[in-house]
Amino acid sequence: MENFTNEVIDIAALPKYETVSLTHLDPKYTTVVGITILITFLIFGSGLGAVLYFNPELLVFSTQLLIGFAVFFAVFVTLSFISLRKKAYAFREHDVIYQHGIIATNTIVIPYNRVQHVALHEGFVARIFGLARIDIFTAGGSSSDIAIPGIALEQAEDIKQLLMGKIQKKL
Amino acid sequence: MEPQFSLPQRQSAIGVLIMFFNTLQKMLRGLGPLFLVFVVKYDSEFKQYGYAAIAVVLFLTVLIAYLKYRNFTFYLDDENREFIIQEGIFNKTKTIIQLDKIQQVNINQSLLQRLINVYEVNVDTAGSDAKEGEIKAVDHKLALALKARLLEVKSQQKDFLGTTVADEDILVDESSMESESQLFLKISFRSLFKVGITSNYVKTFTLILAFFTTIYENGKHIFSEQDLDKQNKNLDHFFTRSSDIAALVFIVIVLILVVNLVRVIFKYFDYQIKKQHDNLLLSFGLLSTKSTIIKPERVQIVTITRNYFQKKMNILELKIKQASSGVKQEKKALIEIPGCNEVEKEAVLKMLFDKAPEKGLMLKPNYRKLVFSLFLFIFLPCTAFWSFAYYVDPEVFDYKYVMVIYSLFLLLILVFGFRNNRLYVSDDFIIKQSGAWDVDNSIIEPLKIQAITTSQLFWHKKANIGSVTIHTAGGDLSFQLGDYAKIKDYVNLWLYKIEISNSNWM
Repeated sequence: MENFTNEVIDIAALPKYETVSLTHLDPKYTTVVGITILITFLIFGSGLGAVLYFNPELLVFSTQLLIGFAVFFAVFVTLSFISLRKKAYAFREHDVIYQHGIIATNTIVIPYNRVQHVALHEGFVARIFGLARIDIFTAGGSSSDIAIPGIALEQAEDIKQLLMGKIQKKL
Repeated sequence: MEPQFSLPQRQSAIGVLIMFFNTLQKMLRGLGPLFLVFVVKYDSEFKQYGYAAIAVVLFLTVLIAYLKYRNFTFYLDDENREFIIQEGIFNKTKTIIQLDKIQQVNINQSLLQRLINVYEVNVDTAGSDAKEGEIKAVDHKLALALKARLLEVKSQQKDFLGTTVADEDILVDESSMESESQLFLKISFRSLFKVGITSNYVKTFTLILAFFTTIYENGKHIFSEQDLDKQNKNLDHFFTRSSDIAALVFIVIVLILVVNLVRVIFKYFDYQIKKQHDNLLLSFGLLSTKSTIIKPERVQIVTITRNYFQKKMNILELKIKQASSGVKQEKKALIEIPGCNEVEKEAVLKMLFDKAPEKGLMLKPNYRKLVFSLFLFIFLPCTAFWSFAYYVDPEVFDYKYVMVIYSLFLLLILVFGFRNNRLYVSDDFIIKQSGAWDVDNSIIEPLKIQAITTSQLFWHKKANIGSVTIHTAGGDLSFQLGDYAKIKDYVNLWLYKIEISNSNWM
């Protein structure tokens, strides 16, 4: 109890989460997203092609379908890349900050002593580029869990170790 | 002679009656609408089938009840320290409860059980994978003996382990052994009556609506087309007379009140809260008694709900959300205490939070929140209505008074909702106030926060307004379009508080 003090907290002097400079996702992750989108749309497109092939009477609409498909593709790609550029994260001494969102900028902060469990996820394409995703879970349910993609594998391992260390220390 | 539990045994023979009424209740719930159709369509040719059907249903109920009784056995396995309940007719269920996991043994009596003088024994276990044992009908001597045996093994085990293990669970049980729990709060019939006539209007209305729709749907198969046409004509004729509409509205209001009252009384009859050690034990219910435990350290969000009538009658409703670990537990995690008065509320809150929560500095939402919701819920539907009427079907214009009533109603709700939407922040509590008619005050403690999300739309940057969502293990709390600078300050403060505290959140 000797070290116990109870000073008034100066709110203005507290560390500000909003001024922390955030790290953007690894540039290589853009390629990963690009490839994933391409694969998805190739499968989707060939499905559409098959439908057209087996129902020749639908060919009348082929131009409209093609335009529709192209527009959908363009919108999807644009939104994906904007969303990518918006994603950013920072690991502070006591918490993790993750920012995302296209129209609204959402910033979620999870203190380390509320983290329940950390997982490392390597997607198929991401693995080729040496990238991983970190999943951080809290007791608050899905709305307060975060998944940070596009982090270099060794770095992700380090972060996981760091978080695990913090969780252990808490207990 | 002391009752023995080592051999599988059945409940009291008279317990068959409890099984019968429970099964009948389930049957009626499933077949209710059909039954009503039978009552309405009461003519000679249909009658025989109807009575035959009722006879079959009754026979089935008796049979099921008897089989349920026959197949329900329970015993204590002393060797493995387990309490075992076997039940089920086709699907056999065997519930095994380890004696050292038992937290609580409750003996309750619902009205029905009181009538035939039997008791139910509920066994609560520790841990999130809460498996529970429930024995519906045993006599009082057996119930007491069983409770003693279930907890006795526990205390023996404690002696055996000595003082080396200071387990929290054991401490809880010890207290339940030594000092019987004391009555903390009892909700009177009068309070329940007040709750019944003042709450859940909309919910009951939708229930009634759903009920009649089911009857109507079922009825369609039974009534002939001709009948239906006649009915429809009658309905049309009916709606053209305004006095009849007034009568209808009156009937609906009375129906809502009656259904509400019956529902509240059935659900919450004999609501008792007992205090035991640091926990609160709740038990309530007319036909079947439900019991739950509130552990203050597990409590995440406490919501106080009150509307204008309830304020005048000095009652309010408390909703308590405990930490849940999965969807299955979600239902159990929400606890409602209806009809407390101001003093009782203070007592419960003091028990849960150690002190009465005070409202601190106030944050108001920006006027844009109101404008946006007016746009979304009034402007857009009206525009849609008018353009539909103008371009597609001019006949729809006949119903424009519906649109006017809708708009006025929503305007009221939105304005009041906006006026009540507040966030109060003090050192130890965050309180969010919301709601138009039923005003909710949701209270959380900053240390129970799991994560915080702040959010801002890009066109709100200039106005410097934004939203905050506080995530807890019992659900989220969000406040929209407040002063963003202030919100960010609070977020930093809460984070600081969480991060310097070493205490676990639960």
